[in-house]
Amino acid sequence: MGISSNKDRSRRAETSARRRLSDRFAKYFVTIGGLAIIACVLGIFVFILGEVMPLFAEATVAPGRFLSFSSPPRAVLTDEYQTWCLALEDRGIVKCYDLAAGREAPEFKIDGLEGQVYARAAAKHGGFHVVLADGRECVAAVKFNIDFKGSVRVVTPIVQKPAIFEFGAKGPSDASDARIGPEGARGLAAVSGDKLIYLNRSVTKNEMTGEVEDDISKTEAAAPANIRRLAVDLEGQNVYGATRDGELARWRIQNNKLEPADRVKVGGAPVSALGFLLGDQSLLVGQEDGGVSVWFLVGRNTDSKILTRIRDFKKHPLAVTRFEASTREKSFFSLDAGGGLRLAHSTSERILWEGRSPVADPSGILYTPKADGLFVYNTETLAVLDIHNPHPETSVKALFGKVWYENNIEPEYSWQSSSSSNDVEPKLSLVPIVYGTLKGTFYSLLLAIPAAVLAAMYTSQFLSWGLRRFVKPIVEIMASLPSVVIGFLAGLWLAPRVASGFVAIISMILMVPVSIVAAGFIGRILPKTFRARFPQGTEIPCFMIAIAAGAWLAMLSSGPVESALFGGNFQAWLLRTTGAEYNQNNAIVVGMAMGFAVIPIIFAVAEDAFSNVPKTLISASLALGAHRWQTVTRVVLPTASPGIFSGIMIGFGRAVGETMIVVMATGVTAIMDWSPFNGFRTLSANIANEIPEAPHGGTLYRILFLSGLLLFGFTFIINTAAELVRQRLRSKYSTL
Amino acid sequence: MPAAIETVMKPRAAPAGGGLRHRKRTAGLWGETMIWLCGGALALNLLLVICLVGLLAVNGLSCFWQKPLILFEFKDGSWALGEIHETEFVKNADGRSADGRSADGRSADGRNGADGALRIKVRFANVDTGQQDFGWIDENTIERRTEPVDAAYIERFEWSPFIGFPKEIRRDGAAATLDGGDIYKTVDRILGEKLQLRGVIQTFEKEQIGSIDEELNRLRLRKKALVGKSGADAEGQTEILRIDKTVESMNREHDVLEKKLLELKKGLESDVLVLETAAGAKREVPIGGIARFVRPNDLGFGGRSILYIRRVGEFLFDNPRNLNTEGGIFPAIFGTVMMVLLMSFAVVPFGVLAALYLREYAKQGFIVRLVRIAVNNLAGVPSIVFGMFGLGFFVYMVGGSIDQLFFAESLPSPTFGTGGILWASLTLALLTVPVVIVASEEGLAAVPRIVREGSLALGATKFETTWRVVIPAAAPGILTGLILAMARAAGEVAPLMIVGMVKLATTMPLDGSPPFLHPERKFMHLGFHIYDMAFQNKNVDATKPLIFATSFLLIAIVTAMNLTAISLRNHLRRKYAGASV
Repeated sequence: MGISSNKDRSRRAETSARRRLSDRFAKYFVTIGGLAIIACVLGIFVFILGEVMPLFAEATVAPGRFLSFSSPPRAVLTDEYQTWCLALEDRGIVKCYDLAAGREAPEFKIDGLEGQVYARAAAKHGGFHVVLADGRECVAAVKFNIDFKGSVRVVTPIVQKPAIFEFGAKGPSDASDARIGPEGARGLAAVSGDKLIYLNRSVTKNEMTGEVEDDISKTEAAAPANIRRLAVDLEGQNVYGATRDGELARWRIQNNKLEPADRVKVGGAPVSALGFLLGDQSLLVGQEDGGVSVWFLVGRNTDSKILTRIRDFKKHPLAVTRFEASTREKSFFSLDAGGGLRLAHSTSERILWEGRSPVADPSGILYTPKADGLFVYNTETLAVLDIHNPHPETSVKALFGKVWYENNIEPEYSWQSSSSSNDVEPKLSLVPIVYGTLKGTFYSLLLAIPAAVLAAMYTSQFLSWGLRRFVKPIVEIMASLPSVVIGFLAGLWLAPRVASGFVAIISMILMVPVSIVAAGFIGRILPKTFRARFPQGTEIPCFMIAIAAGAWLAMLSSGPVESALFGGNFQAWLLRTTGAEYNQNNAIVVGMAMGFAVIPIIFAVAEDAFSNVPKTLISASLALGAHRWQTVTRVVLPTASPGIFSGIMIGFGRAVGETMIVVMATGVTAIMDWSPFNGFRTLSANIANEIPEAPHGGTLYRILFLSGLLLFGFTFIINTAAELVRQRLRSKYSTL
Repeated sequence: MPAAIETVMKPRAAPAGGGLRHRKRTAGLWGETMIWLCGGALALNLLLVICLVGLLAVNGLSCFWQKPLILFEFKDGSWALGEIHETEFVKNADGRSADGRSADGRSADGRNGADGALRIKVRFANVDTGQQDFGWIDENTIERRTEPVDAAYIERFEWSPFIGFPKEIRRDGAAATLDGGDIYKTVDRILGEKLQLRGVIQTFEKEQIGSIDEELNRLRLRKKALVGKSGADAEGQTEILRIDKTVESMNREHDVLEKKLLELKKGLESDVLVLETAAGAKREVPIGGIARFVRPNDLGFGGRSILYIRRVGEFLFDNPRNLNTEGGIFPAIFGTVMMVLLMSFAVVPFGVLAALYLREYAKQGFIVRLVRIAVNNLAGVPSIVFGMFGLGFFVYMVGGSIDQLFFAESLPSPTFGTGGILWASLTLALLTVPVVIVASEEGLAAVPRIVREGSLALGATKFETTWRVVIPAAAPGILTGLILAMARAAGEVAPLMIVGMVKLATTMPLDGSPPFLHPERKFMHLGFHIYDMAFQNKNVDATKPLIFATSFLLIAIVTAMNLTAISLRNHLRRKYAGASV
């Protein structure tokens, strides 16, 4: 007995242990699994945030390799892979240093510079510019040939025969600047005394004989005294000069002739450095007190453009000595007299990096052609700074503020993510898109709120039980209609009909309520015995017939109304009287379509809120002699209002994020304009349109993620608020 | 108490002086009016839904019905043949060209005269003769209309339809003899033969040439991998040599097959049907390129009905033709079903597990409440955001890593690192998991406590109770969630635009070549197909009927799913309405 009971107990204990184990395992499995899934779902937010964060990261600039020059260079150049460092030395020697190996390769000699003494020398992307002591100026173009031998890249530097510019002066010019294009020197501007001389070089090749004709034409203009720095743009349209007195002068070149100078005061200290940003339209002005400012020409037409100060950057502690602009976007390095270096981006007004030159007393800096490095050098050493600067063009100001772009007459909000030319920078203001989102939402809620809230009120308060059973599923079906179908109907079916019958739509807004009231009145004056024959709920089909009749009447009357009020053509009338153009795919069409999509969402929540109003309150009100409508407006509505509000919020969230309807029913014009006759672009449509073409990890890609994050955060906050309101309401009245 | 009421009532009643009844009546009338307006709002909403569904149904279902071909004789003596699509009233007849055709009627509208005219939108087809597919005709330029019995409507595989009068059949350039002198019988016979030949060609291309192409591609990748791995390895070298030899012999085989295919294809070109257009020009249409030959005006109601059923069948079970403007949408239906099924495999376990945790295992408190709200609200986050996440996370991050690890030999062309059906399904699973969680939670919550307590009292552990009692009882709730999720996934387009949709999928994500299921392939989707047909197509007039039909099919599917879910849910609620504690 004892043994058997012992056995029994042990068996029972055995099975129970296994079950307990499986129970515990299940508990952990469900807990961990459930938490993991919830974490994953919420991790979407974290992931998107992670994709956005690099936008606002600073640039990283790290010292890379060093190179010792065997003899002091006057200027250096490099190729886009940083294979070679070409150093121009005195007497026309160009030394080639292999940057990877640190070796020297055979050197070049520039023809005509042997034994010459330099007054100045400079390097620009494309070549060397040398000012000789005898007054002649010499521009030698430098090219890099890139070949692939198998999978090995071979870069060969080529120093071309120099172009010599002579303008009859005895000594070197006070200041000069050359235009060097990919084909060679294009021209040169120089200041000597009170004269600005511009030499234009044109090289024409005779197709028949193959003879090359090298022609240099000369033009002159008066120049203010004490010009220290000169800059000429690559296209040869403008020459800019800076004087010791802190003045900027600008000469326009037209038909190879210089026009008289316009002069503008910079203010403050004398100008010590001048340079161009990418595209040669924005002028960088550095001053002796360390001030850095960006200027460009502003004017409505080409003849009335004035050099205007656009933006200022934080001052350097010492005089600015040199600028070096990126060849990829509008960022630039500035170097001051104390060796302080700074990387900034013009449009976004961001200082991306600040630091000190790795070599003492730098004599020059060079931004590498791929904008991935900066060469800083003095007479003995060259230091390469490796730059990682993926998203310089984004800042809070560039994304949400007014930005003054080149060629514009004033700062503006603008979205234009891609452009035809490389020199025109992408315009990335999210403001027009946020504006478009709110505009679309506004027009859709204009329709949806009254339609949904009134219908919900009727359904919960006045509709018979029998019909309510049908109405709710129909509204749920309405909510589940794919937005692509609604968008297609809006874009291809509704839009042309609204365009041709806009007046009919307007008169419908008036006629339909009138016909509803008329139908209600007819129903009321009908004898009670007749009315009693129909079941409750018959009023809804009657109202439908009334609406259809009203709409039909409105369509019939629209022709005469249009000719009486709008001269027969509403669109022409609109253009004539307000100057607004009627765009077929406009906010009204989207509002109607999106309103249709939002109605069931607001309806569901509002109906819920109305139904949750305790019956006791309604009964009390009716018992006190209040009319049905008085009860609804004075008792039901105030009680349910937080719920209705939360329904509207949820509808708002849906309208904000709706994509397909907007993509299909409106053009995607990013304009800021409240006109209902114009289209717009929303955040979601913008993402859908642009992300397939946005390169992974690029600035546009991350900005689109930022707009997605905005959408996410926005709808999440709105929905949470709405949900909290609803829960509070429910718990408040559950006790009643 | 009564005194209190009186004090309240008195000042109100006093000024009107016995007008309380009157006031009440006007308030009542005003209130009634407002109530009518509320009712009107509800009626408007219902009417809108009915109109929308009706519009889609009428347009979508009528497009398969063959319209008669009408021969127009104009007052200026010219002729045109086409089918009428639309008639509209234009308020004034402006100076349209004499033949009454203008490309875009709307822009030509002057709209300032009082007199109006009817105009008709006609499909002239025959785009390959330089004719505009659709055009407007002014009613008052028409002298006479007839419905000629011999006018033929020809659907072709590579061009839009051709309308004309069949005149003769030519074989290899010479007039062919007709079967019993009846051109139509002959056309039908030859057409039957050619369609058979087309089938032969298709299987030949797919099975013979397709398998060789596949094998060649496999060998190419294998070789690339070998070259990349070991340049000098002797074993690798012999392997490479072997591959080269095989490739060479296979290429030869391929060439022979290609030649054979060309010969077969020549057979399609050999017989041509000569047709005369209404303008009198003669055109040759190869019978091998004809998909269907119909003489609409010769068909009775029965014939049209059979044609209708055939066209509906073609729509549902055939591939698209002619840049998606004609033919069927089978790949889109198949792709949608595949994607929704794949998504269901992901969404059900995850959704149910999370719901189980939230409802059964987590300690109900503030945090769980917050989590519940957060999950709930994820359902309201715009779908495009999920699409973006899918692109960034699944396609670029996960897919990119898979490519680098397992498919390095075919880089830089991505295998998993681009949109595909797997990523699309997973993205939609994320999008719909809140729906499943919410519905499953509701299902779990509806299971009465008595049932659980009964199970526990009988000695079952919590896990056993959950697994054997609670989950079966909550199954309708879970199913409801799943169906709602599937319906949403079937109709969702925005996220799919980003993660793996194509206009025209040449291959299916499920087919006969191993490993049968290809989760990396792109696919077609009904919703995206609608978008694509409507907005990426130049000839919208020609595709519109198909868009309507596709839209109708899509809302029919989505609505059927939703109605099932709703009735299931109602059933569940009724079942536990009394029992839940």
